[in-house]
Amino acid sequence: MPLLEIKNLQLDFGRGAKALRAVDGVSLRLEASETLCLVGESGSGKSVTALSVARLVPSPPAHYVGGEILVEGRDVLKMSKPELREIRGGVVSYVFQEPGASLNPVFRVGHQIKESLKLHRPTAATDTEVIRLLKLVGIPAPESRIKSYPHEMSGGMQQRVMIAMALASQPKLLIADEPTTALDVTIQAQIIELLRELKQRLGMAILLITHNLGIVGDLADRVAVMYAGQIVETDAARELLQRPLHPYTRALMHSVPSLTAHVERLTAIPGNVPRLGAFPGGCRFHPRCPIARSECANAIPELVEVEPQRWVRCPLWQT
Amino acid sequence: MNLLKVQNLKVHFPVKRGPFSREREFVRAVDGVSFFVATGETVGLVGESGCGKTTLGRAVIKLIEPTDGRIFFNGENLAALDAETLRARRQKFQMIFQDPYGSLDSRMTVANIIGEALDIHRLAPAPAARRERIENLLNDVGLDPSHAQRYPHEFSGGQRQRIGIARALAVEPKLIVCDEPVSALDVSVQAQIINLLQDLQRARGLAYLFVAHDLAVVRHISQRILVMYLGRIVESGDAKEICRSPKHPYTQALISAVPVVDPDSKRQRIILAGDVPSPIHPPGGCPFHPRCPVAEARCKTEVPALREVAPGRHTACHLATVEK
Repeated sequence: MPLLEIKNLQLDFGRGAKALRAVDGVSLRLEASETLCLVGESGSGKSVTALSVARLVPSPPAHYVGGEILVEGRDVLKMSKPELREIRGGVVSYVFQEPGASLNPVFRVGHQIKESLKLHRPTAATDTEVIRLLKLVGIPAPESRIKSYPHEMSGGMQQRVMIAMALASQPKLLIADEPTTALDVTIQAQIIELLRELKQRLGMAILLITHNLGIVGDLADRVAVMYAGQIVETDAARELLQRPLHPYTRALMHSVPSLTAHVERLTAIPGNVPRLGAFPGGCRFHPRCPIARSECANAIPELVEVEPQRWVRCPLWQT
Repeated sequence: MNLLKVQNLKVHFPVKRGPFSREREFVRAVDGVSFFVATGETVGLVGESGCGKTTLGRAVIKLIEPTDGRIFFNGENLAALDAETLRARRQKFQMIFQDPYGSLDSRMTVANIIGEALDIHRLAPAPAARRERIENLLNDVGLDPSHAQRYPHEFSGGQRQRIGIARALAVEPKLIVCDEPVSALDVSVQAQIINLLQDLQRARGLAYLFVAHDLAVVRHISQRILVMYLGRIVESGDAKEICRSPKHPYTQALISAVPVVDPDSKRQRIILAGDVPSPIHPPGGCPFHPRCPVAEARCKTEVPALREVAPGRHTACHLATVEK
């Protein structure tokens, strides 16, 4: 049984005629101690998908139209409130983009970590355990740091505290939603290194949400690329980065400047990221696609397994 | 002659210590920076948040009053000008901002946002000429001229950045300071704006001071790069060369920290310990020594000067060896 299995998830914002489909038929599988990267731009539905795993998207306005989210075989969408509380933190923990906004400014960080311990491991809610957690995430002088307030720490340190808090409950799955986007590159490298270390040491699964394909190469075992609410390609990380098959993935990789290779001019993707509610008909990438044909506007292509373990939502992937 | 020449520029912001303290402290945001930008050239300015790159970008066009130092534009010292002359000179240097949402007035139409610059410098007093110029500008930045009467919220992030570029171009500047112009945009849209900036540069002979934290983007667009750390330039030189063989330990770490897409790249990652120190109390000696993996005893006491280590390459590090 996989740790997490999302089957054909469909999520609307709003109801009836005004409903906007933000997630449209997303299916994902994540085995224990595996790292999956969900890559996409703004509005691709990656964060909403990730938040849905512990049903953290407020509903209303969100509204689950169909599909299942199985965490250890149990459907999160059918759970009662007490059951959800057990899942949140207990099995699935989150780390978000803005550590400054996620921490409570009026409590000391040691207190905030202890709060998570009290909920999930009451016997371990001690200063010793908090210090052990802070040490685990590489905070120097943890004995004195437990008394710090969030504002006394830098962004990188705050993110380490967030990770310590997420780890306090010993989750099986850590969901990190753009954990390094708000940080500087040198600090980003520290946090990525920390996640890689923790993954090996604790053997937990990680679902990493990012828009940065570079981070994928550093951490992921597998990648799923999202565009306008749908998965357009999913592969083993290595294969995808070496030989992307979907035109969107290919275009995205070519549009980013490199630190080593020299190109006179970047290959830009024309047009804009479609807005929620204004997704084009047919293949959603076709208005921006360099190899689109007239039939691409007619029907949404299926996600097809074109090679073992490689799924691509484009019938023209070979061209 | 250099279009822009900056000598020993300093920007210090006073910070209060406490309600009863008389002691005045300063954030040394920019602390003795010298560089130049030639006509038609792009100079990239990189560094992490808090290193002073944005302050420097704003100070060279006098959006922030420098504490000390001299700025020559076309050989003319900007500090010596009176307010009216300075306003006239401003026509020649403009700015593009990071946030395409916050930097456009949401209650003005696109035509008025661009036209305001024309009005201030009295470049197109006749309504017909004004309209024509605005339409040409929209065309030049890749927007539909028939959208001139629309408001900023009707455009996407990338299109709004194009409006910001059109506004900067309206007065036909020679130098544009671009402060993180693509970092708020979606990845698939960034390349469009980078290409547009390069096309405009070629067509109009513009010079850019391109401030950004993304080294790959800066390397792509710039001829030369300045690397800043705690208010000072620690390395400068040819863009491709700096990225190929950085001389300063900070630049080396910065480049090695950039995530790369290629899974087979066998790069040695230098992971710096700790955070950027406070610019109120910068460390003594070399400001980078507490995080530097190769620091020696003298790095704690002696401030390294920016010296030439190879033709056109300057590095502020005691340990950098001079190439012959």
